[in-house]
Amino acid sequence: MSRTGVFVCHCGTNIAATVDVDKVAEAAKDFPGVVFVEQNKYMCSEPGQQAVKQAIEEHGLDRIVIASCSPRMHELTFRKMLTDTSVNPYMLEIANIREQCSWVHKDKGEGTDKAIDLARMAAAKVDRNTPLYTSEIPLTKRALVIGAGIAGIQAALDIADAGYPVTLVEKEPSIGGRMIMLDKTFPTMDCSACICSPKMNEAGAHPNIELRTVSEVEEVTGYIGNFTVTIRQKAKYIDYDKCTGCGLCEVKCPSKVTSEFDRGLTQRRAVYKPFPQAVPSKPVIDATNCRKFTEDRCGVCQKICTVDAIDFEEQDKLVKQEFGAVVVATGYDLIDWGKLYGEYGGGAYPDVIDALTFERLVNASGPTEGHIVRPSDGKEPKSCVMIKCVGSRDPHKGKAYCSRACCMYGAKHAHQFLEKIEGSECYVFYMDVRTPGKGYDEFYMKTLEDGATYIRGRVAKIYPENGHYVCVGEDTLSGKIVKVNADLVVLDTAMVPQESAGEIGRLFGVSRDQDGWLNEAHPKLRPVETNTAGVYLAGTAQGPKDIPDSVAQASAAASKVIGLFNHKALESNPMISFVNEVNCRGCGDCVGVCPYGAITLETVERRENSVKVMRDIANINSGLCQGCGACTSACYSSALDLKGFTNEQILQEVDALCL
Amino acid sequence: MANTQETLRERARILLEDGTLDYLIGWEAGRFEGQTTPLIIRTVADVDRLIYNEYCVHLLAKYPLADKTTKKIGVVVRGCDARGINLALKDGQIERDRLYLLGIPCQGMKDAQTGEELKKCRECTHRNPVVYDELLGDLLEQSAVADRFAEVNRIESLSADERYDYWADVFSRCIRCKACRDVCPTCTCKECFTDQAAKGWQGKETSLAENQNYGITRMFHSGERCLECGECERVCPKGLPLMQLNRKVIKDVHELFGEYIAGIDDCTPSPLDHYQLDDVEEFM
Repeated sequence: MSRTGVFVCHCGTNIAATVDVDKVAEAAKDFPGVVFVEQNKYMCSEPGQQAVKQAIEEHGLDRIVIASCSPRMHELTFRKMLTDTSVNPYMLEIANIREQCSWVHKDKGEGTDKAIDLARMAAAKVDRNTPLYTSEIPLTKRALVIGAGIAGIQAALDIADAGYPVTLVEKEPSIGGRMIMLDKTFPTMDCSACICSPKMNEAGAHPNIELRTVSEVEEVTGYIGNFTVTIRQKAKYIDYDKCTGCGLCEVKCPSKVTSEFDRGLTQRRAVYKPFPQAVPSKPVIDATNCRKFTEDRCGVCQKICTVDAIDFEEQDKLVKQEFGAVVVATGYDLIDWGKLYGEYGGGAYPDVIDALTFERLVNASGPTEGHIVRPSDGKEPKSCVMIKCVGSRDPHKGKAYCSRACCMYGAKHAHQFLEKIEGSECYVFYMDVRTPGKGYDEFYMKTLEDGATYIRGRVAKIYPENGHYVCVGEDTLSGKIVKVNADLVVLDTAMVPQESAGEIGRLFGVSRDQDGWLNEAHPKLRPVETNTAGVYLAGTAQGPKDIPDSVAQASAAASKVIGLFNHKALESNPMISFVNEVNCRGCGDCVGVCPYGAITLETVERRENSVKVMRDIANINSGLCQGCGACTSACYSSALDLKGFTNEQILQEVDALCL
Repeated sequence: MANTQETLRERARILLEDGTLDYLIGWEAGRFEGQTTPLIIRTVADVDRLIYNEYCVHLLAKYPLADKTTKKIGVVVRGCDARGINLALKDGQIERDRLYLLGIPCQGMKDAQTGEELKKCRECTHRNPVVYDELLGDLLEQSAVADRFAEVNRIESLSADERYDYWADVFSRCIRCKACRDVCPTCTCKECFTDQAAKGWQGKETSLAENQNYGITRMFHSGERCLECGECERVCPKGLPLMQLNRKVIKDVHELFGEYIAGIDDCTPSPLDHYQLDDVEEFM
């Protein structure tokens, strides 16, 4: 006969206000197997835990029921507590009488009845618990960082500096991401390149960082500590071992293509380095625009290359690597505003540009060397209108969320415009100005002092007239319709997730929110973890952010990885599936439904009715199984069962409630 | 049919004589007129016991599955038998190279008592065997069948209370003889849930609730794997309309995941035995 102890927690008044805890404790005395019942104001506190330990000793308890908050909150706390006692940590059940009871009920009578039921079910279940034991699973101390923008670079550097090897995967030819496209960074106005490129160089040269550019993650198997990732290293058509990065090929290449890096303001060649400070500082060939590939002629780069580095025969390579942890830093893109905002010209007006294009225009290393000119005629604009919240805070057309960085970079752009062009005018249409951050509001005030005119309202229409653009909008503070003439219009468009984030989310089992941002495990308390153990988030892959926040999150993700790698090995979860061989008919339905690839069919020899027969039987990989239970419900024969949640335990609970 | 029977006996003789087969599964005449029973023959001497006529009502697909040795088994297969074999192959219950399938296109079987075509044959969508090693007779043109889901649609149109009363009436008559399970080609578990007494899935009480538990659980276990062979209904001593339940599951699966025909081959994964990213998740 089991000797169960039931401990009822008041949780201050969290539970006690809606549940008559005395009544629950009184009722628990009559549950089958229960020999001891106690109450405590805070079970999770040190005195609360001591009381359990003492009761175990004094009353020889072998099973524990704690009626308190959600098991997600404190099951682990109480398991840890039991490790010091004679009771196995898995001989414990939590009756959730807080989240599922006191917090959702108003009526004390109902709440109490339900709490008694929940406690009775937990006592019935624990009666069928069996001791479970963890084991050690090995840990590969190598991290994968996906995306080499500032977040990815920072995470990679932090992990590498801690002494662990990192593979940094980037789909573009150079690392640096969005930050290296920017001119200056708010609020201190230090040059983006000056603070970003040293980090890029450091990442490129770090002995613990392996850089894989023009590469994408293709397949993922495994689990925390033991991911096997297939990376597609796309053909660069240039042997980086031979290439010296002299740039001769780039000069001689006859194919010109619009530069993605310069947001269409300039052209690049088909063999190209996206920008001079690129890391690695070596070019790639863009096969879709190279004449050798499209027309099968030219090949001038190959002829001219002094070190014979060009190889048109190169194929994509699939590289399989083992990793212990993954940081996803896939970054953001800008919303395709042209499709959504016909009233702003839908992309047809050359001088209505997005803010990232403005960054290239104002950038000292950009195509105009920092002279702000109109893309249409190269003339210096004298007036500029900046429109904020294009595609963000606009659930009807774009996204409902605030894009967070725009208020600040909008102020920066206004400041830069007024500073660079003497006698110019700058109008900023805004909905609200949001400047929470160190030194942010001071920066915004300075922009106002610079002479920027802030108009509260959205621009309803833009149309060209006599060589400039007329922006029509409402000044909602005065209630008047305003018309502002502008030589240049800058749209502060919403950040949206990179398209690849969907695939990465799928590969690693990380969910995304309704807008496609990758979901953290808990918005407040686990902001860089995901629900897939061993996979962490950094930067704008998780949601719109500015640079300081991205870097902070990257370092946080890195510290999680380092913390993980500091363990000698991982502790396995003992609550996993197991097979009753006698009942398994070998149909393999469980193999197909297992999301972790943890089940295989194995042919074994058995004696049945005095005859030797070969049978297929399901086999569970205890390292891969996450204990989700999908197989147990797929198994017709109920040959599969889940430790800690056996069919018997669950039926016992049902009986306790219903009979 | 007489011709088919002669060819069958001839082929059986040769296949048993030359050692291709260890034994062959077919039918023989029963005690009464028009009655037949499944037959396993191991020697040439028994070949003339084999029959093939319009009363061969039994599905043969399940008979070879109990044999886990390496013996080579011949099976006479029509559309339903062949789909049952495919299902067993897909479920890993037997190896294809242990089977030798003599395919017979089926014109439908008759009820020995009434002389009318069986209900299950009237509703048959696959008269020709979908897998065989040799074919006895010519393939048939598949005749059109009436809407298989007409009865399901009718019941679906009833109110919840009416539906409950209907099924309560049906299962109040069930005697849990489990003949439907024993005959069902999808039921290949080593130990059926109803027999796992220790786990307590199925109570022993004679009551509507236990009958319903049995019927509903069995319906879900057969689920989308149901071949619509109609054997459960044929063997039910109480004449319960079990195919209505099976077809409800089939219809739902079709609506949620697209048309799936169980046993059409031995490799197409069924919609419920694996997951895909674009699976319907309306309940989430």
